[in-house]
Parts: sequence; C-alpha cells; structure tokens
Amino acid sequence: MVFILGVNFQEQKLVKKALETFYALGPQKSSRILAKYSIHPMMKVGSLPQRTITALTAELSSMTIENDARKIVQDNIKRLRDIGTVRGRRHAMGLPVRGQKTRNQIQTARKLNRVERRG
Amino acid sequence: MQPTRCLLKRSAWKGPHIVPLPIVRYEPGKKVVPIRTQARAATILPNFVGLKFQVYNGKVYHDVTITENMVGHKLGEFSPTRKPFIYNKR
Repeated sequence: MVFILGVNFQEQKLVKKALETFYALGPQKSSRILAKYSIHPMMKVGSLPQRTITALTAELSSMTIENDARKIVQDNIKRLRDIGTVRGRRHAMGLPVRGQKTRNQIQTARKLNRVERRG
Repeated sequence: MQPTRCLLKRSAWKGPHIVPLPIVRYEPGKKVVPIRTQARAATILPNFVGLKFQVYNGKVYHDVTITENMVGHKLGEFSPTRKPFIYNKR
C-alpha cells in the first residue's frame, strides 16, 4: 500500500495507471509527469522510492486536478445556463447539447448532461 | 471556456463575424426600441452590452438583453428554434 496525494494504491499497480485515476490526468499528462521525475513507464507503485512519492504528491497538489478541474467544467456549464443559451438549456434538461437526435439512445446525455455535472 | 475551443471555432484572420446592425444608443429616460433582427449568426461584440435585441427564430422574435457574459457568442444562441416536446395526456 502506497499513499499518493492521500489515495491508497496497490503495490503492483503501474505508476502511470495510478496517476490516471485522478480526474483531469490522462495518458499524456501522466507520461509527462513520469518523464519529469525519470520514472520508467512500466514501473510499479511498490518500487518507487519514498523521495519520489513525496515529490509526486507535491507535484500533484500544485496541479488543477480532481475537484478543481470539476469546478471548471461546472462553472462553464453554469455560465451557459445563466446567460440563457440553448446549450445551457439542453444541459439543464439532460438532453444532447450538440444537435444529436433524441428519438432514442440518449443514455449518455441523460447520465452526464446536467448543470451540476459530476465528471 | 477553454482557450482552445475559442481558437478552433474560426480562423483568426477572418476576425469575428460582424453584421451591420442598425444600432442606436438612446438617452437615459427615453423609450428604448429593441433592435429587430434576423441575423442569428452575428457575433455579439463588446459594444452591444446593454442593448436590447429581438432575435428571430424562424417564427417569433425573442427579446434578448445583452450582458457582459454574452460577448463572443452568437445572437442565435439566445433564441431557441425548437419547441420542447411535452406529453399531453388529454
């Protein structure tokens, strides 16, 4: 068990995959972080030295991830809603925003499109 | 909004889509006549802030008062063209 930014990771998990579990960290950003701290792409979390783990935690806490990143998305949607655009309305109704058909198959929109979007 | 989205939507050399609109500034206290327009694709410019528009949606003219947040959007975004379906159980 290794703690990175307060989250518990299994020892046999890849460092890259562990970083990608954070919201707003994708393949590109996580590989950039690996390159910055000279970590091999196939390195497991368990084999990281304690110094690197501290450095990673410091790096992550300075980035806009998790709730800060979600807040940006929510603010953008809220702005659209407040100024009364069609896109904001579609978000509030939980319907597709970019002109897709709504006869059937709009499960993704129902799940995701809302003013207080979760992720 | 992300800067990339703004950059991707239109070439920079074209500038914003500017439509000549009959813009009249009224003295405070006088009756304001909204600007009736069918130019839904016209970009809202910073000098539109505070003006009243009536934007056509193909059927009726919707009243839109321009605020500071709306700058950069198009006039048509504030005038919905579809009627929401509401199930009518007699």
